[in-house]
Amino acid sequence: MLNNLKNIFRKTSIHVCIVNCGGCNGCDVELVAVTSPRYDLEQYGIYLQNNPREADIILLTGAVTDHWKDNLRRIYTKMPEPKLVVAIGNCPQSGDVFNQEGGTVNAPASDFIPIAAEVPGCPPRPNEILEAILAVAPGAMEARANEKDDE
Amino acid sequence: MILPIGPIHPGLKEPLRLKLKTEGERVIDAEIDYGYVHRGIEKIMEGKTWQKAIYLAERVCGICSYEHTQTFAETIEKICGVQAPLRAQYLRVITNELDRVQSHLLANSTFFKTMDHETLYMDVLRLREYAMDAIELLTGNRVNMGWNVIGGVRMDAKQEHLDAILERISHIEKDFEIHKRLFEEGPLVGLRCKDVGVMTREEAIKGRAVGPIGRASGLKHDYREPHPTYHDYFDFKPIWRKEGDNFARTMNRYDEVTQSLDLIHQAIDNIPEGDIRIPVEVVSGYKDWRNEAPRGEVAYMIETNGNLIKHISIRTPSIMNIDSCENFMLKRVATVADAVTTYASVDPCLACAERVVVDVNTGKTTVNDLF
Repeated sequence: MLNNLKNIFRKTSIHVCIVNCGGCNGCDVELVAVTSPRYDLEQYGIYLQNNPREADIILLTGAVTDHWKDNLRRIYTKMPEPKLVVAIGNCPQSGDVFNQEGGTVNAPASDFIPIAAEVPGCPPRPNEILEAILAVAPGAMEARANEKDDE
Repeated sequence: MILPIGPIHPGLKEPLRLKLKTEGERVIDAEIDYGYVHRGIEKIMEGKTWQKAIYLAERVCGICSYEHTQTFAETIEKICGVQAPLRAQYLRVITNELDRVQSHLLANSTFFKTMDHETLYMDVLRLREYAMDAIELLTGNRVNMGWNVIGGVRMDAKQEHLDAILERISHIEKDFEIHKRLFEEGPLVGLRCKDVGVMTREEAIKGRAVGPIGRASGLKHDYREPHPTYHDYFDFKPIWRKEGDNFARTMNRYDEVTQSLDLIHQAIDNIPEGDIRIPVEVVSGYKDWRNEAPRGEVAYMIETNGNLIKHISIRTPSIMNIDSCENFMLKRVATVADAVTTYASVDPCLACAERVVVDVNTGKTTVNDLF
């Protein structure tokens, strides 16, 4: 019974952290626009707070550069359970244009941490990002919480 | 003790490490660590045609992405000795000024967020959305527009598009005076910004500060003034202030937004008829050309070999601005909270500024750009 109560709160109040692993900032600009009054992320109970130690979901943007190879795994282990990662943009999936001879990126990001959902686009529009987070987040949080509690 | 303000922080959009040397709550010294965003763009561009290279030049930075493509196109046009037709030059001016409006409003909103003033932060983002609507009406996308080609622009704009743009930016002009007065005359906001992070004119010359940051400290220089289109067809004067603190930098950006909206009106009223693109054949040569991006002066140095690009070097304004912030402004802040707001008022754009990566474990240095 206590678990049912916890699941209600896990679904409707989610804290989010943005980690920029070396992108061009186009996706970060659209993430700032998602919090603006026109697209308003806070009305769904999702709060942008930027502290990995208190976050439920990490939004990952940017292709993984050399500096972030070790640090990305470290940030993922610091988050408390249950946790998820959503990758935004083309760069974490495949490296986009930078993944050719002469570039210094190590794509894809799923070599380093497990990724639950992806939103393609260069950059994706704010309403696409919002649809993706709302479709994935509440259901997946509840499923991860149930599988951890059953152990 | 040394206090790190780390790569992930609620107030910063981009990863950078700011190490402050403090004594209690007072800040004595500062040091900045870069290196998180280096992708090796200049090396990838070697040996490619201009169609692929201009796609890469747009993604050097996502916030000031329009000005990079215009400087790239103008450099190669100067190597071949052609000039874009007059209607294309007017359309380039309209997009340039719309991009400047959205970039300045975004910079100010970040500054208010680090000060924790939520009313002004959300109100600026509401006004910015009208400018993004206008950009989408004209070019087809909000960010990374793909608007410039060598010899002109990609698409024509009909009269109903231009009327719709004027209607969209009239929403900004309606509320802008009241919004600016909220910041200019508020007593508590003024206590937090005036006389904080001062940089004098001699220090701005020594640190080579450019853009609104240099103009707020007394250096009267704007690279739009000698540009051929602005010089011959528009009346334009740089906007500058004397004090050099956080308040002067933010107010300078607000005044430039008013000036840009006026330039858009001038361009739409006087735009001539004609074609928008001429065919160009790229030849070998070398040229260096500068332009005024929202953050300062951006310089492109390109050498071509027949049809392909042989060497390219890009110098962006954030390198000089962040350096002058570290050496001069951060020595004059009182507390740690003021250090974060001073850094946000400099309007850093780190994706443009990364040049070299040093591996701490092995001591190896990688430089992936040449000239």
